[in-house]
This record gives sequence, structure tokens and C-alpha cells, in this order.
Amino acid sequence: MNIIELEDVWKTYSMGEVEVQALKGLSLKVKPGEFLAIMGPSGSGKSTAMNMIGCLDIPTRGRVLLEGQDIAALNEKELAKIRGKKIGFVFQSHNLYPTLNAIENVQLPMRIHEFGEAEIWDKSEELLGLVGLSGRARHYPSQMSGGQSQRVAIARALSTNPLLLLADEPTGNLDTEAGKEVLDIFSQLNSRGVTVVMITHDEKTAARANRIVRMIDGTIAS
Amino acid sequence: MKLLDIFLLSLSHVKKSRMRSWLTIVGVIIGVASVVAIISIGQGMQENVQQRLGGFGADIITVIPGYFRATGVHSEMHTDRSVSTSSSINLSDRDYRVIKQLPGVMYVNGLVSGKADLVYDNEKTVVSITGVDTSVWRLMDTTGIEEGRYLQAGDSNSIVVGYNLAHGTFLQPITLNRPITIGGKNFRVVGILKQSGGFGGGSDTGIYMPSGIARDVISEKVSNNQFTSIVIKATDATLVEYLKADIEQKLMSSRQVNPRTKDFTVIASALIREQMSSVTETLSFFLSAIAAVSLLVGAIGIANTMFMSVMERTKQIGLLKAMGAGEREIMKLFLIESGIFGLVGGIFGVIAGSAISLLIPFLGIQAVGFGGDMKATITMGTIFFALGFSVVIGVLSGIIPARHAARMRPVDALRYDQ
Repeated sequence: MNIIELEDVWKTYSMGEVEVQALKGLSLKVKPGEFLAIMGPSGSGKSTAMNMIGCLDIPTRGRVLLEGQDIAALNEKELAKIRGKKIGFVFQSHNLYPTLNAIENVQLPMRIHEFGEAEIWDKSEELLGLVGLSGRARHYPSQMSGGQSQRVAIARALSTNPLLLLADEPTGNLDTEAGKEVLDIFSQLNSRGVTVVMITHDEKTAARANRIVRMIDGTIAS
Repeated sequence: MKLLDIFLLSLSHVKKSRMRSWLTIVGVIIGVASVVAIISIGQGMQENVQQRLGGFGADIITVIPGYFRATGVHSEMHTDRSVSTSSSINLSDRDYRVIKQLPGVMYVNGLVSGKADLVYDNEKTVVSITGVDTSVWRLMDTTGIEEGRYLQAGDSNSIVVGYNLAHGTFLQPITLNRPITIGGKNFRVVGILKQSGGFGGGSDTGIYMPSGIARDVISEKVSNNQFTSIVIKATDATLVEYLKADIEQKLMSSRQVNPRTKDFTVIASALIREQMSSVTETLSFFLSAIAAVSLLVGAIGIANTMFMSVMERTKQIGLLKAMGAGEREIMKLFLIESGIFGLVGGIFGVIAGSAISLLIPFLGIQAVGFGGDMKATITMGTIFFALGFSVVIGVLSGIIPARHAARMRPVDALRYDQ
């Protein structure tokens, strides 16, 4: 079964009096274990596509199926629960909760979903180790570099054992070196079976994925 | 999300923006402190009044010459017994007899009060003298004897001394059996009164002696069949109001005056106490209302801070929502934060307010019209009320910002640029 399936998704935003059609009949399937990059210039609708894949927003028309289930059938609360548990998000910037240190950030989704205390600690320490930041557990986001912050964000996104790691321009604010480290982690995770969907406008970044979907004007470029 | 985890997350916000948190809290502290101080001072004031008037006893009625009128003062009025009272408007033994035969009267004491020169241990001063009927005085006195005894029938040159006069006026405290010269006559101290603390006829600073001899020593002229006031003890405190009316009526007819020319005043301290209480209650209510305004300003401060942090944290709210936090959790997160502001402000406010209240007596502020020291009474009730109230205020001022935060859509929140 596909993890996420978008079926002829349309999304219209109204910006004041102007209606903006961000998505125009996008259809897309994300299969388990793949590393998918969604590419496109700004205004191509790739961010809106990410919101749909991440179940952060609901389409104006068409269907979004998460593990075969239509998300339109869920209320806001159920959607929040499912989204938080099944999708791990990594955003471009301001990813971490600034008042919490690294390990607390990793623990946050598990606390939201009320994991047991022992599991919370075991898992968060393990994941920080996985991204190579065991030594930074007590550091606050303001005390870490951009690359380190993104790695903590990845550890956090993995904490609830999601079906899918969804990254929105994860290297957008990083220098080449730090960006490469982050992408290495994605590749490494993917080789262990984690499904990764990455939104990017950068060819080189997209090249790390094993499937690239190019978007233009709210739909997939053919 | 567990409540404890939400609480810890809220606490991390408060701790991280320390400066702003404290400034917000200071607003609450000022509000709570002024409410606590004013309530405490108000309660102290009430107790003061109760205590001072309590010295009279609830079943005591006093008749004095002169008459207060709501529209002014009667031309012949003499309210202060220490001022030389023209004999024409003193009370007479006829008034005494009229009162004595009324139903509901237990004891009647005709008093002769005035000022006299006193010499003790080579020190000279002027004191208030109260001449009493020795046969009933001990039965009606509410102050109590600290040392020695009350005056008794047959005493002629014996006196009983008020507490403050005995202990605080002269270099050498007055003790039992000490000789004292009053108005040129020699007296012996047979008793010292307890401290009454009240208006109770100036018992703390006065001297009591048999009325016969008091007429000789005081500088005012009071003839043998006259009194400067008459004190009545009712058989029951519940009769006081009726007895007071009865006395007024009977005295008016025996003195041949009408309500317009009335030349005496009947005072029931129990009734005054009620009136005074309602005055002080109104006063403290009014002051509390003013204090509440500063608390309101504190609440607005909290609301303002909360709105700012909701704005600042829009992205974090989006993050929390993306991670699966629901509206209720976001709501709780912000309400707990504003509640913390209220609670911490409340705690420090109670401490500051109590400190202010405790300092009041040392500042020596005189309560206008009561002639005594001002004091403040802090009760546990006040403290818990203030704490509870400030937490409620904190939570309430957080409601609108918290709801604003909770209802944000995750996409909008995440897109928000700082």
C-alpha cells in the first residue's frame, strides 16, 4: 500500500480578492522505502504539495489518502494525532523549540503522544547518537549551528517512528558542508528503510534522492 | 500530552524570556500588594473601631447634656465634658430618678466629670476626673481592675487610676497606696484599672473617685444635685434600642423640652458601633475597589505579554501542531503560562502587601477621627483570596491570546515569518 496518495488534488487560496490556484490536479504516490525529491521553482506549488503530503492542509478538491484512508473523513483533532505520529517533519528554519534543549526537543513529539518515560529517554538518546549529537544533548538551539539544529530536527522527526520523513528545504539555510552532512543522514536513514520525501529547488540536493518529481504551475511537469 | 509536560513546557517559556516575565509579574505584584495591604488595613480599621467602642459594652446607654442636630449644633450645646459646662444644662438628680424607674434599667450611675490639677511625686499635670456612684460603678465597669480594688461605699479620699496614667505618665509609675494630690486634696490610690484601649470614657488616662468628692476637686462647677452624664446599664442588650427611645421620651417630658429645643443626647454605643462598622466597611470597600484597578492593570499586562508571545511563537505553535498537538493542548500551554504569571505575582504581591501592612503601625499614621494608632490585620483568608484571585486573573487574561494561538491553522502558523 502507498504511504501517501494524492488523487487529482486542487488547492485554491484566496489572497484578499484574488484567488490563487496553488495546485491544479496534482496526483502523486509515495511508496514505502523510497527517497523522493519534489523539485520546482518558487511558485510551482511544491510547498502546497508538501502541506498536502504532510496532512497539514486539506485540498479544495480531490483526495489525500494516508495509508489508504481519506483524511477528509477525519476531524481536526484526529488529523493532528495521526499526522504527528505518522509523519516526521523537518522544516527549513526555526525548526527547534527554542526554550528546550536538544534532547528535550527530540522528546517533545513523544511527550505530545504520551509515550512512556523510559521509552522517551531511551529513544531520544539513541536518536541523538544516530545523528551524531550525543555530546550536545543539553545545548539549547541558540547554542548550536544550523547544521546541528537540522540534525536534532531529524532526530526529533524520527522519534515517533513515522511512516514518512517529510523535509521542506532541509538544507536551504545551511552551508555546503553542513548541507551535505544532513543529506548524508537522509541517505543513511533511507538505506535503513525510512521513507523520505524532500522538497527542494536545488538540483544537486534533489540528485541525492532516488526519484525526482518536477513540479510546475501546480502540477507535475511531464 | 500530559499536564506535567505541558506545565514544564510553559515553565521553559517563562524562564527563557526572563526579563519580560518579570516585568509582567511586577505588574501583578503591585496590584496584589495594594489589594492585600488595603484589605488588611481595612480589617485593622474595623477591629480598631470594634475594640474602641467595645469598651462601652453593648448594654450601656449614656445620657449627656447638649444635643447634636443633623443640620448643625444647638446653640447651647456642650458635648465635651471637659469644657466647663454651664450648670443650667447639666443633668439633674431628677433626670436620674426618671431614668432609674424605667423598665429595662438595671443600674444607673450619675457621673461628675471634669478636669483637675494633679500633683504626684513632684510632677504636676491636669487629669480627667470621673466622679462615680461607688455602689454601682463596679457592677457597670467593663474595663476591669488590674491591681487593688474598685471604689466602695464609704470611700472618700480613695481613687482608682487608669492604666496609662498609672504606667506611662510619670517618671515614677503610680502604684497602690501612693499619695496623690488632686485639686489641693490628698488621695490614696486603691486600685489601678486594666487597659481598655477604647474611647470608654477615657478610662485609660482618667482618675475615678466618688462623685461627692469629685464635685469639690474638679475645676468645673457641678452642684450637688447635678451630673455631667448619666450611664445606664440595661437588663439585656437587646433592649437597648427601645430603652434609648424610652429615655429620650421620658427625659423630654420631665425636662419640658420638645424635639426642637432638646438639650440632652442619649447615646447607645452598640448602635454607634454598628454605624461605625458600616462606615469603615464602606471605606474599605471603596479602597479595595481602587486597589482592584491596579490589579486590573496587572491583568492587562499579562494579556499584553501573552499576545506578544503568541505572535512571537506563531512558528512554534505551527511546529507543535505539526507534531500532533491539539487545540486543547496549545490552549493549556498558554493558560498555564499566564497562570504562572498570576501565581508568582500573587505570591510576591502577598509578601509585599503584608510587609506594607506590617509597616503601617511603625509609620505612625493616625487614622483620621479615631485618634489612635492605625493597625493592619492580615488574615489567612486575605492571603488565600489574593493568591486564588491572582491565579484566576492570570488565567483569565490568558484566555483570549491562548484561544487565538490554539485556533491557528498549522499551515498558516508555519508559514508565518518572524
